[in-house]
Amino acid sequence: MSRVVWAAWRLGIAAARGPAGRPLSQAATGGAEGAGAEGGGGGGSGSREAVERLVRAHPVVVFMKGSPAQPLCGFSNAVVQILRLHGVEDYNAHDVLQDPDLRQGIKDYSNWPTIPQVYLNGEFVGGCDILLQMHQNGDLVEELKKLGIRSALLDAEKDKDKK
Amino acid sequence: VLPRQMPGPLLATSGRALRAMAGGSGPLASAVRSKLLAALQPTHLEVLDESWRHGGPPGAESHLAVVVVSERFAGLAPLQRHRLVHAALHAELAGPLHALAIVARTPQQWESDPHVPPRPPCLGGSKHDQGKE
Repeated sequence: MSRVVWAAWRLGIAAARGPAGRPLSQAATGGAEGAGAEGGGGGGSGSREAVERLVRAHPVVVFMKGSPAQPLCGFSNAVVQILRLHGVEDYNAHDVLQDPDLRQGIKDYSNWPTIPQVYLNGEFVGGCDILLQMHQNGDLVEELKKLGIRSALLDAEKDKDKK
Repeated sequence: VLPRQMPGPLLATSGRALRAMAGGSGPLASAVRSKLLAALQPTHLEVLDESWRHGGPPGAESHLAVVVVSERFAGLAPLQRHRLVHAALHAELAGPLHALAIVARTPQQWESDPHVPPRPPCLGGSKHDQGKE
């Protein structure tokens, strides 16, 4: 995760919600209202509305364990690495280990029992296995193109052909 | 910084670990096997206990991997295929099963590619769990 992108996140979220330096998942779900979002129910960090806001906040949104800089699970890390291979470093990543309400909320929202979860353009795409498949069969390059993101692998291919 | 692998349990109980790797034989793996057989009538099915890869003792059955080859997957996108597997294993996923890696192919796909992608190395995530994944 590049420092420029990380700084842009923090500035963006801080401008909307509160002091900079707050972990993304807390800041995005109402950190300004008080220390941490307590409890589920309407308006909690795990509510449908809160999750909906998160998945729509950016073309590429990942719910994972740990952060892109330090993933805490091999499956979450695989998602980070695959995105990195495609040159996708600008995305919203939410560490569910920091927020048990979000962790449950995201599973209810997508009706998917495990973490990591990948959303493209607000739509649930799948977990690590599916992202790996999409990477291997070329679908991920196509899906990124639809979002206006040019996969770095396309440029790598071009360079290979030139040599 | 967390250790990337947990070699201790694997070396200490290599016999059990090898059996666990070859095909889960514990109660959870057996339940998973029966449910998938009933729900999807697979032509090929592997249920592997991969808990040992995640710092748990072999036979812990917290992390399973399944390879399911079934005609039921024909015409379904990967997401729909995985959802079918989740539906069959709803009770287990609500309970002790923390992680489930899935390979879901039709018999035609399996015949042309009977290989399973390598699993990513554990980075200790389960150690941070108080409950479910």
